[in-house]
Parts: sequence; structure tokens; C-alpha cells
Amino acid sequence: MNLEVAKNLLQTGIKKSKEMGKLCSIAIVDDHGWLVALHRMDGAPIPTAEIARDKAWTAAAFRIPSAEVSQFGDPNVSGYGFNVQNWNERLTTIPGGMPILNEGRLIGAIGVCGETPKEDVIICQNILKDIFREERELGPGRRKPRKKYGRR
Amino acid sequence: MKELTLELALKMLEAAERWAKDIAGFSCSIAVVDKAGAVIAVHRMDGAAMATTDIAIEKAWTAVAFKMPTLMGSRWLDPRNMGKLMGDHAMGMIGRGKGRLCFIPGGIPVADEENEVIGAIGCSGVPSGVGDISDTSVSQAGVTALYE
Repeated sequence: MNLEVAKNLLQTGIKKSKEMGKLCSIAIVDDHGWLVALHRMDGAPIPTAEIARDKAWTAAAFRIPSAEVSQFGDPNVSGYGFNVQNWNERLTTIPGGMPILNEGRLIGAIGVCGETPKEDVIICQNILKDIFREERELGPGRRKPRKKYGRR
Repeated sequence: MKELTLELALKMLEAAERWAKDIAGFSCSIAVVDKAGAVIAVHRMDGAAMATTDIAIEKAWTAVAFKMPTLMGSRWLDPRNMGKLMGDHAMGMIGRGKGRLCFIPGGIPVADEENEVIGAIGCSGVPSGVGDISDTSVSQAGVTALYE
């Protein structure tokens, strides 16, 4: 996950949610759950930015959609007893966070917040549908920034 | 230009990133907040340290909350300025604002034509002390792009 890919994902996501007529915040985190890029659309409520980030963190940490984290509260599922409520300030079970997997390997996660959870998930899926196409368009061999140390 | 939109924020971020990459040569995180201090957009450049996003957001928040660059606030907290103008009352600032107050230089407020603060930009991750290169100058590149 790098900034260029993240920006492309955010651009796609904002375009799609505008098409749907929704206001939302979208967060992209890397494979360790650290924030790479976050955009809040004009008019989207203020806390959505932080909640989008929480969803993305949860998806990256567990490598499953954030909605499925609530399964740990089910006594019939292995993992029962995990403290979902008070684990840390980021863990959330609200739907809208999705891991980005490339051939089974986690490369990052995406979190969407703004409308009802169902619509957040739809926006998420729409973005993920496009990701590997975007990746191909960017192509391999991105150059690293040239280092200059400015005026001396 | 009455309020910062996502479009304007991205314009600022793009210019600041270009400055950080091509002229400073360091990777950093840059955040833009609106006049309420709420995040509009955050970018972490490739290779920048992970915790810098939070610091960039806090710098921008502080800049908009105090309506001044965090560079000025950092002068308050400098113990060498004790007894000088605005230098000896500011140690109580540490830990204010529910822990969000961050007087590290790098946050700059953005004003409209009527000189009303409409938002702020914050940058973190650039080591200071090499010529003009610092977090503040990266933020300044973003602010300059807004008025072009």
C-alpha cells in the first residue's frame, strides 16, 4: 500500500458515493493498520472521519470485514470471550471496514463511514471491485522520489 | 473562498507533497482541517513514519484553535524565553485541550479574504535544522498553493 494507490482508491470511492448521493468519509490504512490517507467529503459529519479510520484498522488487524468481528461474541464460534467491547479505542464491529487482499496476502484495508452501515458496505465493495484494475493501470516500476537537500 | 472544501484541501496537499518530495527530499504526513478543527484530508507519504499522521492532525488542530501558527506557540513553551514577552506564562499549556494541544512547529492556519480563519494545514515528519527545510515550510507550500 502506498500513497498513490490510496489516493486512487479514495478518488474512486468519493466518485462512487457522489453518484449514490451519499456523504461519507473514507480511510485507507496499510497492512499494519496505520493510516495512509483519509478524506472527509464536504458536509459529512465530523466523527465519520475517525470512525472510518477505526473500521479500517479493525479490518486490517483481523483480516476480515469489520462486521464479522462481532462473531467473537458468539459462544459457538472459536474465539469466544475476546473482549470486543473494550479491547482498545479503535476496535469496532460496525460494518464498513474491508481488508484489501491480493492473492490472500493483506496489503491494506479500507474503511467507509457516513451513511447506514449497509450503504457503507456497498461503497466499500464498489471501491474494492476497482482496485486491481487501478493497480494495473498504474503499472509496475514506480520510481522513488529523487533526493535533494535544497539550498545550502 | 468561504470555507475549505475537499477539493481545495487536496490542492493544498498536492502542492505540499510536491514540495516535500522534490525540494525537501523527506517523506512526511500532511493534514488539512476545517474551521472546526475537524479533519478534511490526511495523507501519509511513502516512507514517512507511522505516527506522524496523528501529530500532523494535532498540529493543524492547534493552529486553527489558536488562530496562529504553532511555531508561535512553540516560542511560548521554550524555557529560554522565560521572562520575555509572552514567554513566562505558557508552561501550563502543556497537556491542555484534552491532550490534543501540540505546539510543535508545523501547523499553519488558513485565512480567507476577510482575514477569518477557515482552516489549517499541519505537517509532521520533516527534520528541522537543515536550511529552510522544516515542517513549517512544507505547510507553507500548501498554504501558498491555496492563494494562487
